[in-house]
Amino acid sequence: MLSFVPAIAAVLQHAPEHAEDESPFEVLFSHVVPQHSTEVFGLVWWNIQWFQLAAVGLIFLFFLPVRNAIREGSGGRMLRVLAGWVAWIRDEMVYANMGEKDGRRFAPYFLSIFFFIAFMNLFGLVPKGATATASVYVTAALAILTFLIMVVGGMVVQGPGKFWVSLVPSGVPGWLLPLIFVLEVAGLLIKPFALTIRLMANMVGGHLVLLSFMGLMFYFGAENGAAVGWAVAPLTTGMSVFIMIIEGFVALLQAYIFTLLSIVFVGQCLHPDH
Amino acid sequence: MLNLLIQEGGSMAMAAVGAGLAVIGAGIGIGKIGGDANSAIARQPEASGDIRGSSLIFAALIEGATFFAIVVGLLFALK
Repeated sequence: MLSFVPAIAAVLQHAPEHAEDESPFEVLFSHVVPQHSTEVFGLVWWNIQWFQLAAVGLIFLFFLPVRNAIREGSGGRMLRVLAGWVAWIRDEMVYANMGEKDGRRFAPYFLSIFFFIAFMNLFGLVPKGATATASVYVTAALAILTFLIMVVGGMVVQGPGKFWVSLVPSGVPGWLLPLIFVLEVAGLLIKPFALTIRLMANMVGGHLVLLSFMGLMFYFGAENGAAVGWAVAPLTTGMSVFIMIIEGFVALLQAYIFTLLSIVFVGQCLHPDH
Repeated sequence: MLNLLIQEGGSMAMAAVGAGLAVIGAGIGIGKIGGDANSAIARQPEASGDIRGSSLIFAALIEGATFFAIVVGLLFALK
């Protein structure tokens, strides 16, 4: 079974160039890693960037009509579902964790980031799709946005100096202050880092589980003859479909968790006392 | 047994063992969160929304650390 791992390593190291002599396993795995798509003005354009653009396009396509539907209370069934979803995120996630005053300012940003991540995650489940959030660069950029809002927002609301002072909770004895301050600053940096790793690893992990189940039939086919591979195929396909359904749930759950944790972290930085 | 693993698969096998160990810890933690959340909901069904939300957050925090360990294992396996 360990013969999987060198295949993954080989594909990771020089994935896109050798398109001709690929095994089915490598074809499947090429779905997981980003690839060069084309060049625009001398810059390499990766295939996941098309899906990022498509996610932005889908947000405009779906949610521009929703604005009118919410304002006028009109619209079809689809619009009402989307409007209810937006209102749920605003009320249950943003307002519930930040309060209505701050929430009103930040709700557009968190709504955009939720649906951006959700659409990027779901694009990984359609045929020929690629998951932009399975790239650590994409999730790191999103987490850096959260980090900037935490620090800059905290410094704007509380004042530049008082933000760093209020990192340390009140009531700490004097000799502990330097240690607690270092710990709190480290915590400030670890939070966006954990956001990055969590989203990226969830997306890559789901694809790898799917890949392992699909790769099982090629493994059995190559080791024990094609007949065994065909015999195993229905079982592994069924398991893959099952994992795929779970992936659809995880795609939405991870968008929810990324957004919710961002809301909680930003809320803590704006008003440290609660 | 660890010697056998190192002979057979080298650092890759050890990376797999490390990923498995990380998942054991996460399984204990998330299982405890799930069990306690369920018993809390059974005791106070009217607070189920809040309990579900906060248990999701705590599960996600554990999951982040676990995924960090698994990614470290994966990076060593691919070296």
